[in-house]
Amino acid sequence: MEQVERLLKRTLPFQVVSPETLDGIAEISRHEVFKAGQVIYGAGQPAEEVYVLVSGRVAHRIDPDIKARVHEKELQVGDVFGWAAILEGEKVRLADVACIEAAEVLKIDGARLLELLRKDVNFGEAALKSFSQLISQQYYLPPSVSERVPTTLSKVGDTRTPASNEAEPQTASAWTLTMYRASAWLKSPDPYLMMVGFALMLGFWYLTVEVLKLPRFEDLPGLTTVVKEWFAEDPVYGMSIYTAEYYQHIWVSIRRVAIAFLLATVLGVPLGLFLGWSRSFREYVFPVFELLRPIPILAWVPLAIIMFSGSETPVIFLTFLASFFATALNTMLGVESIDESYTRAAACLGANRWQVFKEVIVPGSMPYVFTGLQISVGVAWFSLVAGEMVSGQYGLGYVINTSYTMVRYPTIIIGMVTLGIVGYTTSAMVRVAGNYMMQWRLREMALGGR
Amino acid sequence: MSAVLEKVRTQGNEARYGAIRIDDVVKIYDPEGAAVMAVDHCTLDIKAGEICMIVGPSGCGKTSLLNAIAGFHDITSGAIYMDGEMLCGPGKPKADPGADRIVVFQNGALFPWKTNLENVAFGPMMQGKLSKKEIIEKARSMMADAGLSGTEHNYPGEVSSGLRRRVEIVRALMNDPKVLLFDEPYRALDSLTRSVMHESLLDIYYKNKVTIFFITHDLEEAIFLGHKLVIMTTRPCRPKKVLEVDIPHPRDYSVLTSPRFRELLEETASVVHEEARKSFASGEKEG
Repeated sequence: MEQVERLLKRTLPFQVVSPETLDGIAEISRHEVFKAGQVIYGAGQPAEEVYVLVSGRVAHRIDPDIKARVHEKELQVGDVFGWAAILEGEKVRLADVACIEAAEVLKIDGARLLELLRKDVNFGEAALKSFSQLISQQYYLPPSVSERVPTTLSKVGDTRTPASNEAEPQTASAWTLTMYRASAWLKSPDPYLMMVGFALMLGFWYLTVEVLKLPRFEDLPGLTTVVKEWFAEDPVYGMSIYTAEYYQHIWVSIRRVAIAFLLATVLGVPLGLFLGWSRSFREYVFPVFELLRPIPILAWVPLAIIMFSGSETPVIFLTFLASFFATALNTMLGVESIDESYTRAAACLGANRWQVFKEVIVPGSMPYVFTGLQISVGVAWFSLVAGEMVSGQYGLGYVINTSYTMVRYPTIIIGMVTLGIVGYTTSAMVRVAGNYMMQWRLREMALGGR
Repeated sequence: MSAVLEKVRTQGNEARYGAIRIDDVVKIYDPEGAAVMAVDHCTLDIKAGEICMIVGPSGCGKTSLLNAIAGFHDITSGAIYMDGEMLCGPGKPKADPGADRIVVFQNGALFPWKTNLENVAFGPMMQGKLSKKEIIEKARSMMADAGLSGTEHNYPGEVSSGLRRRVEIVRALMNDPKVLLFDEPYRALDSLTRSVMHESLLDIYYKNKVTIFFITHDLEEAIFLGHKLVIMTTRPCRPKKVLEVDIPHPRDYSVLTSPRFRELLEETASVVHEEARKSFASGEKEG
């Protein structure tokens, strides 16, 4: 008996169970000897017992109708087979098992084994789980089989069909992952620290302006005034979330940024790629580029107004300019960041110069390009406001500027906060787009634990 | 592996291409007028299908030689021939890189933005010799042969460094190269992974007879893998001792404990050590 227990202890599913359960299992196991060439059981037969191989060599061939990755294997001493006897649903043998050499086995009644494991409150569940693991990892069977092991103790009499088990994890995975991330985020201190940060800022504003009325602060619009104005159905200064004007300003600004950002991307990325890739092109263009780049956007305002007619194009031009430099420069740096061994490897593998550009330079610089695009959206909003303050008839920058001249102070703050929210959203959108396009990088970083 | 070993025993060495002849090659780097000699009148003959191990202290100029064969750098004088044809030499200082000589890089150069399968398929795709379907089929079967099934749609960043190296070798073999050039490919791996990689490299070699030019500074690795062992002097690099390793192929890890292996190690260790000391004394940068 002791010998039997020692052997059971060596098997994957039973090594975890409590000593009492092990005693019980040893009691219900029967010793049996098979001769070489003898069949232990065949596929399709009713499955009542679970087997443990004690000695000898046994071949295990899974019925080809069952989608196992590997169909044939030779069992090792200590291997557990015949686990179909504890599966939920129809208990039918899934494999042909025969002895290559004379073999000794332990036979354990499946129904009684399940009963014993269910009584083992602490470890029964773990033992059943390792059965399911065994089925998928050592016998290479799909989850539709391994999930038929009744792994939770409460699942007694559960009549779920295996088919629904199989479909669930695939369709639900993206959603479950999102939910998992959301719940992990809520459990971490991060969201609460964030709230504390906001509370501190708003508290400082409220205290200095409305409670303490510090000198120079008292003229500013207070927190309550701004919030009341912002959400007022009938705003005192004419702009709140209930007025159409508010959305028109937001829309006009977004449209300008979108046009400028797209232009800057369409022109800046190729320029940056060529700057990084071709040395002679770089000799021509880069000095000019580097001379123009440090000129502040505000210095371009007069030229923009002279060059472009109307009020729309000068603003778009100014917005474009800042974005363009950021995008082109980062793209160029991206090309320079590519390890020389990648281009060499491509050349070795027979790629011509154009193919190297397309297959190595472009994808290799993408991480930098997207960093550049995020910076580019940021500076686009920055220069948009500068442009709108000077020219233009709508837009958030225009709102801020005119509200100042017309002494509508709370409206200034509404414009500013709206700019913050819209700016953050666009930059987040660029980040999401980048992650979507660079799956390889996302997966790499996820594995690196970053 | 045993089936492969059997095949090798019965068929023997079948490579007919990829003989390399390095003839009196000199490479002088002259970045800012200060000429640095990296390779000094180096002459070396490598037979077709031979594994030639180049051993030398770090920074001795071994890689310059490899770069010259691969066509990444020019040479100052001398010539390099492959199967009698001049790769570079008088009038043509730099060889054209090509899919007949493929480098496996020190830090690995699988494209991280392509899946393993796309990486393996890269060479034939670029050369456009086969249809896309044929290429994918060939890539899958070669990956399966190398035990890489199931990793086809992973990105290189998602698999272990040992697997990455194997994918890179398969990527090279997809092009039926004549010569594989290894630039200390296992340097960054831990010693256990390295021993697995050595056996897997030999396994791959027995299936695809190619000439292997393998740079290392690990003497045991060199004796274990190579037919021929070339110990280089410290910079400028020149063969100091050339040795035929007379342990019969196919080999497996039991070779490491064989008396002949120990003898060869003793015979060469002092030579390598002496060069390493010179290199250390001259303050060569590693790399």
